[in-house]
Amino acid sequence: MSSTPQPPEDPGIKLRDHVYDGIQEYDQRLPNWWLYTLYGAIVFWVVYWFAYMIAGIMPTDGSRVDTAMAGINAAKMASSIDVTNDDKFWEMSANAVFTDAGKQTFTSLCTPCHLPSMRGKSENPAAVGPDLTDTAWIHGGTPKELYATVAKGVLAKGMPAWEPVLGQKKTAEVVAYILSHHQKGETITVEVPK
Amino acid sequence: MSADHKPASPRRPVLRPVVDSVTTIASDGSRRDLHPADVHGRFTTARRWSGWALIAFYLVLPWIPVNGHPAVFLDIAERRFHFFGYTLAAQDTWLLFFGVSGLGFALFFLTALFGRLWCGWACPQTVYLEHVYRVIERWIDGDATERRALSAAPLTAAKAVKRVAKHGLYVLASLLITHLFLSYFVSLPEVWHMMRSAPGEHWAAFVFVFGAAGVLYFNFAWFREQLCIVICPYGRLQSALTDDHSLSIGYDARRGEPRGKLGTPDAGACVDCNRCVQVCPTGIDIRHGLQLECIGCAACIDACDEVMAKVKRPAGLIRYDSFAGLGGGLTRWVRPRTILYGVLLGVGISVAAFAFTTVKPANFLVFRTGGASYFVGPDDVRNQFMVRLVNKRTVPATFIVSSEGLPDGLHQSGFETPVTLAPMAESVSPLVLVARRRDYHGPFKFTVRVRDDAQTFTLAREVEFMGPDARLLEDDEHGKQEKKHKEEHDPKG
Repeated sequence: MSSTPQPPEDPGIKLRDHVYDGIQEYDQRLPNWWLYTLYGAIVFWVVYWFAYMIAGIMPTDGSRVDTAMAGINAAKMASSIDVTNDDKFWEMSANAVFTDAGKQTFTSLCTPCHLPSMRGKSENPAAVGPDLTDTAWIHGGTPKELYATVAKGVLAKGMPAWEPVLGQKKTAEVVAYILSHHQKGETITVEVPK
Repeated sequence: MSADHKPASPRRPVLRPVVDSVTTIASDGSRRDLHPADVHGRFTTARRWSGWALIAFYLVLPWIPVNGHPAVFLDIAERRFHFFGYTLAAQDTWLLFFGVSGLGFALFFLTALFGRLWCGWACPQTVYLEHVYRVIERWIDGDATERRALSAAPLTAAKAVKRVAKHGLYVLASLLITHLFLSYFVSLPEVWHMMRSAPGEHWAAFVFVFGAAGVLYFNFAWFREQLCIVICPYGRLQSALTDDHSLSIGYDARRGEPRGKLGTPDAGACVDCNRCVQVCPTGIDIRHGLQLECIGCAACIDACDEVMAKVKRPAGLIRYDSFAGLGGGLTRWVRPRTILYGVLLGVGISVAAFAFTTVKPANFLVFRTGGASYFVGPDDVRNQFMVRLVNKRTVPATFIVSSEGLPDGLHQSGFETPVTLAPMAESVSPLVLVARRRDYHGPFKFTVRVRDDAQTFTLAREVEFMGPDARLLEDDEHGKQEKKHKEEHDPKG
């Protein structure tokens, strides 16, 4: 080792013994505040571990998700309607609040296929969707069947499932609007799809 | 060398920083508090005014409405970001890349030229510490000598009053800063509304404001220069960005050494008065050369110039200069490093300017409806799309959606009339395309275009009309006709 490192200016500063390539290492203390962040982290770990793993005081992520989902489902249930109740749909179809809201949704989403008149192929054979004003149905003509068709769609034919997009309320409003073009108790026929 | 140096009085120990260790950390790891002495001079005055201007800028921005929104308003709830009347939506977040990289390149360029100009003059840490918190401290506790005496003195009623007053003002200042900070994200009226309601109604904001104020208080009351010395990454990057021709604050050793008290024969210009050390906010001796701790605040320049004036020697023993300049050479401003950083900055600014000017006030997306990719009916082939329109403006807008490049005979339904969207609203509506079998000749690409009714912009997306191979449909057609033909001739089946 040809070169010896310079001694430090301050005699109070310690150097470690080893020398490599003329480089020596200081042996100084970390700032205390820095050490406290380490000790703090250790204390935090113990508290955290105890609270989550031992005592179970703090809810785990999984249980928090479950709680939140339960809350969402409860809110959904509270505002949901019985979509298998035909009479309920007929009642809604006579109420302008529902049919007006349903018409708005129908106009923005359904008219490209079923036309604004709702008459689809009956009005224009080139239209995509079938007539919704006549009494001949393809996928069932009772209100609850209508709801199921709009909600779940007929994917093979291109009718999208609307419930995931619109939610139950808006979907039911659309069904109410369609029913407002029909009479309760009218004779319906169900065609076997070609 | 310092044989004639008088023993330091207990009230004013002479700080003799060494380069081997950080002055503010004692050898047992404890913190050594600094009490930087008052300094006067041109740089100090300029820094005070520019610092207060920056603080005023920060405090005032949320109060100035531009186009109905605060000048700078990062609206988290609505995900709209307003900058001096220019509004960006969440969809424009990619522009942040240019903001961040632009800031980086600008800092590279400025650092290569001027060293740590940012740290001393513009960094919030320095600006608030020097121009708010130290001003409070100076006002309550007095000058450096008085502060040192006070911190060494036993706790008396008078000292307690001073401590409570000082820390109370620190807390107030911290709360003011964090409340204003919150207003950048939720607007001032909302902050005012939250301040008048119970914390339980907005826990997140409450915890954020008081937590952040606590962090600021700790930082500015106690942590101070430790942030610059130990935590700040920019300080560490310095050595990679600067070279011998970058400006820094330096001591002209050729002129100053050997230092000696006035009257010492053959002594240099430095009278070893230690003023440069006393005024340093990070506790270094600039005469050791450029050190990691130096934040380029120029306090030592003003301190030294004042002393030089008193002893009737030329100013500038400590000055803004490059290593080359301090060594007697010339500072080269144009060098590969500055050219490279400058070009990077220039490219960045050009691309950013282009990106920002091409931001459209709307956004749209075309996607296929769920289910099959296409539908083959008895007479036609059909594709169904959903078009999602987003009005990014704060006023209602009307959009016209059209398809271009469609072959003859193709029927489009949906978007027959323009769509009007409320401010910042969005809509999803179907677009259905039907090709009669005889007009269908296989899959093709077409363009969906969105214009606003005032024709100020257009947006376009290429979409594919999908379907089977046209020959398959023809075969199918022949098959049907044959079947029909057969049925007609053989009614019994």
